[in-house]
Parts: sequence; C-alpha cells; structure tokens
Amino acid sequence: MKQAHCIYQDEDHRWLAIARDTTKPGYIIDTNEYVVIHGEEALLCDPGGIEIFPSVFSALSAECDPTRLAGIFASHQDPDIISSLALWLEFKPDLKCYTSWLWQSFLPHFGGQDSTFVPIPDSGVTIRLDGLELQAIPAHYLHSSGNFHLYDPKAKILFSGDVGAALLPADHNELYVQDFSRHIRHAEGFHKRWMGSDRAKRDWCERVSRLEIDMLVPQHGAIYQGADVQRFINWFAALEVGVLRS
Amino acid sequence: MNAPEPNFHGIAPRTGELARIVRVNEEIKAIVATAFRINLMALNAIFLAKRAGNAALGFGVLSNELRRFAQDLTRHMASLREMTSGSVGSVTGVVQQQRIAAILAEALRLSGDGVPGAREARRRGATRLAEQQVRLRSLDLRLRAAVEETQQLVELGGVLARSAKIEAAYGGSFSAALMQVSTDFAEVIAQIKRSLEVLGKERLVKD
Ligand SMILES: [Fe+2]
Ligand SMILES: [Fe+2]
Repeated sequence: MKQAHCIYQDEDHRWLAIARDTTKPGYIIDTNEYVVIHGEEALLCDPGGIEIFPSVFSALSAECDPTRLAGIFASHQDPDIISSLALWLEFKPDLKCYTSWLWQSFLPHFGGQDSTFVPIPDSGVTIRLDGLELQAIPAHYLHSSGNFHLYDPKAKILFSGDVGAALLPADHNELYVQDFSRHIRHAEGFHKRWMGSDRAKRDWCERVSRLEIDMLVPQHGAIYQGADVQRFINWFAALEVGVLRS
Repeated sequence: MNAPEPNFHGIAPRTGELARIVRVNEEIKAIVATAFRINLMALNAIFLAKRAGNAALGFGVLSNELRRFAQDLTRHMASLREMTSGSVGSVTGVVQQQRIAAILAEALRLSGDGVPGAREARRRGATRLAEQQVRLRSLDLRLRAAVEETQQLVELGGVLARSAKIEAAYGGSFSAALMQVSTDFAEVIAQIKRSLEVLGKERLVKD
C-alpha cells in the first residue's frame, strides 16, 4: 500500500509525497504522487494511473481531507500521469485539471469535460492555491512536447515530472536519494531514452539552476535534496540524451 | 513489509453487456442477409411463374407477395439495427460507470469509514448509474417490441410460403420446379424464425 509522507511543512503549507508502492502489480511502473496543501485547498500533482487510484486515494485521505482538492496538475499526457482523471472527477466533479494547452483535447479521453481543463500556455502560468503562488514552468520535450514542472518558491520544491526519474530495483525503497552516484545509475538509461532534445535539456538546466531549490521531486524514484539537486542538474546537463542505445 | 492488500482486481466487473449487443447485431445481420436471399428467390419465382403461364397464376401472385414481404423484413431489420447501434453508446456508458464506481468504492473502503465527501460521491455515482440503466432498459423494451413486430411479419411470410406450396401442386409441368422454390421459401423463413427467437431472448440489461 502506498503511504503519504510529509516532506515539507510550514504551518498550513504542506507537501505530501505518496511514494514507493511495494504492493502494486509488477507490470505497472512505480510512480510518485505529490500533494501541495495550502490553507483550505490542495493540489494533486500527477495523480497517476487508474490501477493505483485506490491506493493513492487512501494514502491521500489518511493525511488530508480529499474534499479540499481544488485541482490536479498534470505535467504531461502519459497514462502513468493522468489516466486516473475520471476517478478523481467521480469523487469531486468540479476539480480543475491544469495541463499544457497541447493536451487539452487529448486528456478528455481519460475523463472530464471542457470546463475541467485549464490549459497552460507554452510560457507557463501561475497557479494559485488559497493564496499560495505556484509556478508551472516550461519543460517541453523533456520528455513530452507539452510538459510542465511545478515550482513552489516558498517551500523551494520543484516537482520535475519525469525529469530526475529513476527506475529503482524493488528493494530500493528509500524516499530520498542516499548515495547520488549509486542512485543516478538507475536514472541514466531512462533519461537517455526518454528525453529527446538536447537543446531543451540545456535550456531547462540553465533556467532551473537559477531557482532556489531545496528538493527536486520526480514522478519516479527517490527525491533529490540539498546538494544532490545541483548534482542532478549538472549530471543531466552533461548527459547525452535522445539516444536509442547507450 | 506490508501484506498485499486485496485490491479491485478481485472485483468482477459486470461485463458481458457489450458482448450481448454484439450477439444481437450478428443475429440481425444474419436475418438481413436471409431477407436479401428471399428477395432474390421471389424474383426468380416471379419469372418462373411467368414462364409457367396460366398454370401458375396463383403462384405468381404469391411470389409477388413474398417479394414485398422480403422488402418489409429488410426495412424492419434496418430499424432494429439502428436501435442496437445506438445502444452500444448507452451500454458503454453503463460499463464505464460500473468500472469507475467499483474502483472508487475500493478506494473509499481502503480509506476507512468517514472519509469526507465519500457519501456524496457514492450517491452521485449511484444516481448516474441508475439513470443510465433506465435509459438502457427502455431501449431494451423498444428492441423487444420491435422484434415481436417482426415475428408477426414473419408469421405472415410463413403463411405465404405454405400457400405457395399448395399453388405449386397446380403448376402442371412446372409443378416440380415450383414445389422446389416454395420448399426453399419455407426453409428460409423457418431459419429467420429461429434467428428472431434467439433475438427475442437477448436482453441488453440483466434484470
Ligand atoms: Fe512520461
Ligand atoms: Fe512518468
């Protein structure tokens, strides 16, 4: 069963990581879901697939009143990101789904109607959560052609979707990266194959290096914190991406 | 190590509705094909009767009637088919709603009782499902009524085929040929009757 871990708290401002599902069927890629809570509202980042909905929902409910969910942030259009949309809407029909304008007419295949979607322009947007300002920052072509990360300047957390993802062996259950050089081995093949554009990657690394980030939280694998954040950005900047085989 | 929780994979979704529609459609297709055959057979019978001349006047009249019957049947089947293809959408809606409801129910169960919003969500889902099922049920009733109407039409076809057999006996030197044609008619109509019986037993929604 998944569990929600509080990775940041400052009064009524919290980040929950719903991570590392040891009981999900093995043929489904393991995903992390994140919940940003501020005041009376909550935003769910990359809620995951249909198959894991019950375990994500119950993990979320254990830590936060699910009726406070105001929106869903979908970094991109993949099924492991957002195929559970219809289920979240079944629970709360007025949820808003923030996603790239590129996927505005694609995501309704997973659920929702016109009024569900808030299209994010290519340049990004500010998402307000009960007074807190979150920034959807462009990460196009990393890997999806319409792709956004979510930056919380107050918590100094960057939710980075598939960037930073590591496909960890089943016995690696740590929430945070323990040993960067050991960890990054599990990220290399993924980034080489999934990230398609070297230009987009360099641009992202430059922009993100200018942000104050305490934690870089990816959709797969463990969380980078402290010095590991810049370590990761440097590693990524130097990595050759868009290659079929290493 | 956590013990694996029972999950919603164990909940058997109520499928089979779509499969049922497919069966209904296949049966309708078979009847349409047969109706087309009757039409051709009736045309042949009309020519045969013309060649037989005075000896087959009655047979000729019946052949014309059978041809009209085949055309009526084709029309009936076309409207039946329209009904079932419309119901594919409704059935899909129900199947989808059932699946969503089952997964959400599992999520609420895992979350324990008293999750805020749980009752409202359950009620909303149940209402939507009930609405869809009402729609499906009325479609089912319409389909059944249409099948019954077609069955009556086919009864008439059966009477025509039997009369044709009797008329064939008076066909003089053409008698054997006319008899063969009317026997074929009777067989094909019996086949349609069987198909309609199967169709009449199918239900789009289980009671
Ligand atoms: Fe992806
Ligand atoms: Fe992913």
